[in-house]
Amino acid sequence: MAKVKVSIGVNGKWHELAVEPYETLLNVLRNRLGLTGTKMGCGKGECGACTVNINGKAILSCLTLAAQVDGKEILTIEGLQRGAELHPLQEAFVKYSAVQCGYCTPGIIMAAKALLDRERNPSEEVVRKALSNNLCRCTGYDKPVKAILEAAKTVRGKK
Amino acid sequence: MMPLFRPREYYRPKDLREATWLLSSFGRKAKVIAGGTDLLVDKPSEVECLVDISNLNLGYIGKDGDGINIGAAATLDLIESSPILSSEPYRVVSEAVSMMATPTVRNMATIGGNICNASPAADLPLALMVLDSTVKIVGLSGSKILSIGDFFKDVNKTILGEDELLVEVHIPLSPKNSGAAFLKLRHHQTSIDLAIVNVATKLTCSDNFCEDARIALGAVAKTPIYAKKAERLLIGRRLDIELIQRAAEAASGVSKPIDDVRASAGYRRRMVAVLVKRALEVSARRCGIWQK
Repeated sequence: MAKVKVSIGVNGKWHELAVEPYETLLNVLRNRLGLTGTKMGCGKGECGACTVNINGKAILSCLTLAAQVDGKEILTIEGLQRGAELHPLQEAFVKYSAVQCGYCTPGIIMAAKALLDRERNPSEEVVRKALSNNLCRCTGYDKPVKAILEAAKTVRGKK
Repeated sequence: MMPLFRPREYYRPKDLREATWLLSSFGRKAKVIAGGTDLLVDKPSEVECLVDISNLNLGYIGKDGDGINIGAAATLDLIESSPILSSEPYRVVSEAVSMMATPTVRNMATIGGNICNASPAADLPLALMVLDSTVKIVGLSGSKILSIGDFFKDVNKTILGEDELLVEVHIPLSPKNSGAAFLKLRHHQTSIDLAIVNVATKLTCSDNFCEDARIALGAVAKTPIYAKKAERLLIGRRLDIELIQRAAEAASGVSKPIDDVRASAGYRRRMVAVLVKRALEVSARRCGIWQK
């Protein structure tokens, strides 16, 4: 079995790895790099718990092979915080208690991060559409949507 | 225990020659990977070699004097937002794409993957079919071009040979007085779901006179199909509600749906008539007649 040599940038740090041809990005993040913020849910692209960002786009890490992202930069939930300072999305999720069990939260925040990177002033409908690949089975979507709209406002204010 | 998805080799060919050589040497044990949103859900255990086509520069959408060219590795989100596909009748392509899967999946999935997966319920091929699109296929012995309607063989089966790769979709220019539409019926109209029935139509009209018509149907046969009989009813005639109704019923007549978890065959057949009628009305409006 031939391992594949890859160089992957994760949250600004580059890693040289030899991965199996079938190994997912999700597996590399969690089991090799210890970044367990990104969650394994359905493993079939339905639930969105594994959502990360590549080139500013929301991507499902359970349906991406590590070999496919050679040379690419990945942003995970662990990369949002700047030192002790939370990202406006994280702040807003805390403020609105938009978290219950928390399993879907990193995926939702990363889907929202990709949205805010391309749209400064998204409508509620646009936010809800951006979350359509993220399942939450306890909190529901109202609080996350409110939190994302508030975070958008904060991000706009900063620029 | 189910056999696992355990490919042993991973290649990222630099050019088409290397790609087709790899595909031919591994034969059925090789699988092309692009977006991965079908392959890594199905995870077929017989795959021994993955051929990653991301270095082949096939992620483009371009326009020239003959029409629009879309590389096989262009992602659905790129197609959805492309200004090249924003004018009539070509916007039927982005209209179909906007109803596929979710925004996150559309960031990954590619046009080539969607076509080569050959799902009977696929959305994108219908829009491409009504625009008379062709596909370019490259194999060891060279390249060929064929009509997208001739690309599908059976459920999840295409005419691609073991050494062949779909590299480009070409959409020829349509007459300016053309309008097209895509409609999709599913259980939850706002959420992720495959089509119970999906249809695309295109009309070319001067005043109320129908110069040309295309009707493509999905989820009602083993492959996407044209409703030729219904098209012939329309071409060369004056369009009115009654004629559109007759064409819609003719389209329903050529469909051969099955009963499955999403709907019964009988329901599908009736819905073909409803969707084709509505899509033809929208197409007529979009080619400038029947202004509201």
